[in-house]
Amino acid sequence: MRRRQVIAAFAASAALSAPPILRAQTRFRLALTPVFLDNDARVIEQLRAALSEGTGQDIDLVQRRTYQEITGALLDGSVDAAWVCGYPFLQHKDQLSLLGVPVWRGRPLYRSYLIVSAGDAAERIEDLRGGMHAFSDPDSNSGFLVTASDLARMGETPDGFFSRTLFTWGHRNVVRAVAGGLVRSGSVDGYVWEALSVVEPDLVPRTRVIGRSELLGFPPFAARTDRIGDADVAALQRALLGMNGTATGRAALDLLFLDRIAAPDLRLFDGIALRMAELGQDG
Amino acid sequence: MTRRTFSRIPITLRVALAMGGLMIVLGLVASQQVLRSLSRLHDDRLREIARLHVGGLSVALGPLALHKDVWEIYDTLDRARTASDGQRMLFTVVADDRNRVLAASDPLRAPIDSDATRYSEDASDLAALTASGGAPQVRVRAPLLVAGRRVGQIVTEIDVGDLVAERRRVSLFLLLANAAATVLLACAGYVLVARMLKPVTLLTQHMDSAGGAPGRIPEAEIPESDTELARLLRRFNTMTGAIEARTEAERRLAERERFVSLGRLSSSLAHEINNPLGGLLNTADTIRTYAGRPEVVQSSAELLQRGLLHLKDVSRAILEENRLDRSGTPLRPSDFDDLKLLFEPEATRKAQSLDWTIRADGAALATLPAAPLRQIVLNLLLNASAAAPEGGRIGLDVTAQEDAIELAITDDGPGLGARDLDRLMSSVPVAPGGGVGLRLVQDLVAGLGGRIRHHREAGRTALVVRLPSGRA
Repeated sequence: MRRRQVIAAFAASAALSAPPILRAQTRFRLALTPVFLDNDARVIEQLRAALSEGTGQDIDLVQRRTYQEITGALLDGSVDAAWVCGYPFLQHKDQLSLLGVPVWRGRPLYRSYLIVSAGDAAERIEDLRGGMHAFSDPDSNSGFLVTASDLARMGETPDGFFSRTLFTWGHRNVVRAVAGGLVRSGSVDGYVWEALSVVEPDLVPRTRVIGRSELLGFPPFAARTDRIGDADVAALQRALLGMNGTATGRAALDLLFLDRIAAPDLRLFDGIALRMAELGQDG
Repeated sequence: MTRRTFSRIPITLRVALAMGGLMIVLGLVASQQVLRSLSRLHDDRLREIARLHVGGLSVALGPLALHKDVWEIYDTLDRARTASDGQRMLFTVVADDRNRVLAASDPLRAPIDSDATRYSEDASDLAALTASGGAPQVRVRAPLLVAGRRVGQIVTEIDVGDLVAERRRVSLFLLLANAAATVLLACAGYVLVARMLKPVTLLTQHMDSAGGAPGRIPEAEIPESDTELARLLRRFNTMTGAIEARTEAERRLAERERFVSLGRLSSSLAHEINNPLGGLLNTADTIRTYAGRPEVVQSSAELLQRGLLHLKDVSRAILEENRLDRSGTPLRPSDFDDLKLLFEPEATRKAQSLDWTIRADGAALATLPAAPLRQIVLNLLLNASAAAPEGGRIGLDVTAQEDAIELAITDDGPGLGARDLDRLMSSVPVAPGGGVGLRLVQDLVAGLGGRIRHHREAGRTALVVRLPSGRA
């Protein structure tokens, strides 16, 4: 695909003599899963600026609606690297390699939260039977896998336990769905929920956390294993790991409520792999 | 206000009121028209707002409703609500083709899978939307179509409080402005009409001046322009002059009629004087012939004295009849003696017999003035005598009643003609000639507040004059 585009670009440049198109095709593309602030242009721009500065080249940040689209783009080479969830990373760990893991509140770990609306009397997941439930994405660890595996431990499936489940394609949307009363409960990324409570103080207090998962590996940065040796991928990894060392990088991390990006450690994702195994999936 | 009451109002006020009324009707019609236009304008604007809201949403939501994508529908509604200009969109429900709720902007109010009929049944279609109800919010529904297929419907509540308030404000302002304009126009109309009709008011005032008689309008008060009204006023003055001249002529005629009656009597009275004169001259000869016979002289002197006294009475009666300054003298029984003295020779000349009955004492008669009474009785007697044949009968019967004196004059003539009755019984204008002084009698009786009755019975004509007491 990429080769074909390059050829097409050359053909176009030969025919039309259009260098901007040629240059656009050479940019490094980093895909982002729908993280908490994917709707905040300021955060995206700051992150792009930090990584462009760190790598010494223009970086395109690519956003898609679902995790599956991001993973697919990463696997087929449409993007050069991606900030993915631990769950799809493990699903494709034979093809993907870690570049770095964000450190939040001192650890490269986070939790999944089970939330209900602020006025709801539910205290445990068992109280939510028969209600409507919002997941973030079927390929999200905190927004699906954790609750699905919790229910599996109870001998239940999401569709059997809840009256209706729906995917909102974003952790922020799960909070909105619960806060607005569309659904009774939701599965959300604990890091996103905590960050949103600072950024959107009108939204988050309308929800209440009734369940927190164990600490699990924070969504990592990954690239295709066969491209790990590429210079631009290596440059990205250096930029990621050194982000907290530059002012631009520091500013981007602050906006993301992250401490830094740590060197990868596959063992961080053992918890997720365990839950995958409980659902009969190969982690 | 009844018709009579309205017709009693002065014409200037009536015309002004009519003008004011017309202005009010005009104002009402104009206000109604403007309000209707305003209402149409508001409805158009409301429909446009609703169309923008619902139209945009239904295009976006159609495919989502087709796939029953609850989250995307909610997300769209939620974003539309927060992005809605001035938070106009209050509440929106999207239902599937079986009218079950797919999602609502407020899921607590319309939970997923609940029945959406209660939202859609009292909602109006886009084309029928109107703000005329005055409700601060309207509910509108629209179908969700995908490739021409109905996949559900959208019901949305739109806040139109600002439109309704604006409509109310504009309506109120309009009504106030129209009311003010109407009042202004009515006032201006009144002033204008009153000014235009000023000559009419002037005319009315002078028409009634001086106790019912029309009076001249001073030339200074007549507008200088040669308008119809100015000409009318001048013509009125001319007519007033004519009326005054006519009244004066009538007065002179009446004065003359007083002498006519005496004129009629003159030949009889001349005989009345002449006849005794022959006797008196004989008596004087007798005295001269029998100067030495005291008893003859004595009886002749007495005869002479009686004759002279009679002449004296006759001349006194004539003088009395002609006296002009006796208006204040009350009626006495002797006045009837005078009348008899004056009239009897006329009756005698025509060999007519006279029934003379006075059934009223001095006190009853004294309540009436002598002069007009004598004139009335004498004129009627002369007419009766003229009407009665030779050897006929004429009667005068005076009776005193509780509050009036009645004079009945009868004759056995052929009766009064229509023209004479007009003269006597009414004040309509009549041609000169005919019965003697009948119009004078009518005027005198009217002046005394009396009435004249006429009836004819068994070949006799009777005229009964009833005069209320206390006019002396």
